[in-house]
Amino acid sequence: MTSLTRIRQTPYLPPLVLLLWGWLLVWSSLSPRLDLLLNAVFHPVVAIAGVVLMVFGALQLRSVHRLKAPSAPLSWLVSAGVALLILLFPPSPSFSDLAANRTDNLPEAPRLSFFLPPEQRTLTEWVRLLRSQPDPKLHAGDPVRISGFVLQRVGEEPQLARLTVRCCLADATPAGLAIEWPENADPKPDQWLAINGTMTAKTRNGQLINVVKPSTITEIPRPERPLEP
Amino acid sequence: MTRFATSWAIFQGLLIEALPFLLLGVSIAGFARWFVPQSAWVKRLPRNPLLAPVVGALLGFALPACECGNVPVARRLLASGAPLGTGFGFLFAAPVLNPIVLASTWAAFPDQTWLLWARPIGAFLIAIALSTLLGLLPESRLLASALLEERRLNQPLSSVGLLQRRSGLVGVSSKVPEPRAANSSLRPAELLQHGTREFLSLLTLLVFGCALAAAVQTWLPRSWLLALGSSPTVSVLALMVLALVVSVCSSVDAFLALGFAAQVTPGALLAFLLLGPVVDLKLAGLFTVLLSTRAIAITALSASLLVLLIGQWVNLVQL
Repeated sequence: MTSLTRIRQTPYLPPLVLLLWGWLLVWSSLSPRLDLLLNAVFHPVVAIAGVVLMVFGALQLRSVHRLKAPSAPLSWLVSAGVALLILLFPPSPSFSDLAANRTDNLPEAPRLSFFLPPEQRTLTEWVRLLRSQPDPKLHAGDPVRISGFVLQRVGEEPQLARLTVRCCLADATPAGLAIEWPENADPKPDQWLAINGTMTAKTRNGQLINVVKPSTITEIPRPERPLEP
Repeated sequence: MTRFATSWAIFQGLLIEALPFLLLGVSIAGFARWFVPQSAWVKRLPRNPLLAPVVGALLGFALPACECGNVPVARRLLASGAPLGTGFGFLFAAPVLNPIVLASTWAAFPDQTWLLWARPIGAFLIAIALSTLLGLLPESRLLASALLEERRLNQPLSSVGLLQRRSGLVGVSSKVPEPRAANSSLRPAELLQHGTREFLSLLTLLVFGCALAAAVQTWLPRSWLLALGSSPTVSVLALMVLALVVSVCSSVDAFLALGFAAQVTPGALLAFLLLGPVVDLKLAGLFTVLLSTRAIAITALSASLLVLLIGQWVNLVQL
């Protein structure tokens, strides 16, 4: 009997695989992993599901010797392997690469919101405002304090962008603002920057658009919650 | 390498978001099995070919699950001997005809009232049409073999013979599930063991579906699909492909659709909201526990055709 067959025949395998997946969900909720993957609304759901799976796994471990169990399919071992890989290799997506593949069809704000004074607006709020009031001259001269990652699309000037997510990374939608990069600036894709400056109205490709003219550009670490609802 | 890392993250996002809903579905199926002896309610379900899918479709209001969660519930219904129409009506309509999904559609499109009735009615019609179509195939060519055997064990001998149950035949594999008395309910430990086996089997298929969806999403730029324009037919087809690829849960797909609602035709928008809950890449593996390969192909093709026709009709009326 090969060791693989012996593992598949052990009655402890199903509850242990269940415990592993439960731990994966609980650990994902405790670590910053979920902040990179899901809208915050789903975080408690994932944590509860993880705890429930672990409880089910533990209860089954207690009664495992009392029930006859057929040999586990090989696919359960594969699924346990996938869970281990997920635990070992946390996600490190390139937001720039992800956003470059997607159009800027930014969803509406999840709740009714007032537009804050210009210097308090986040990058996403700026993009929503500029969509709803599309006259670029209306905002020229306003102070801007935003942060985001450098989004590099092929054949385009780099933008500063954020990703909005309703469900998970699969539906991430970019919100980007054009920046008038100083000559000495060298923005690299996925680099997180904080920019203080002024909103201006410039003609690019024959179209009048809002462009941020930075007065200071500071490199910052990726925020704890990089995705926006 | 960057692209692989992005694909790995999308895979994790899809899987971790879908897992709680799969657990919810398996739990609902398990508790339904425990609390209600199957003979009590399965026997009362109408067997009329028209009424059965209607009842199945409306069951979604009682068991709110998205498209991952309703696969185990539909499997439990069919395994318990419920009419095929009821099982399929539930499978195809419940991901839309449930309070959570209807509320999220209303929250995303409060000013598009036509969508609030067109989505449930469209989902209902598709479920009835698919159930009727699949009902034309004999059970033996329609259902996955393990489900078929379990279903036959739970049907009375007057309708299923010993040969069909494969009981007592020499040379038959001993993997046939053990028959239970119709009125007996499972002990909690047995229930937990069954639930665990069901969850782990479906989980593997979900992993496969999420990997497929993440890979296609990463290597097929979404902008290509949305750039396919505003023509009445091509836009519907493009959004149908997008629904297949994106594979997000039906309880949040309306918010995603909101993002490109202004860029696409109304028919395309409705097509996205109708097709995703019935057919998507994430479901590719999960459906194999219910249906034969032929039945999955028929479901995918018929659902696509129906959604295309509905989308074109909406564009004809609205444009």
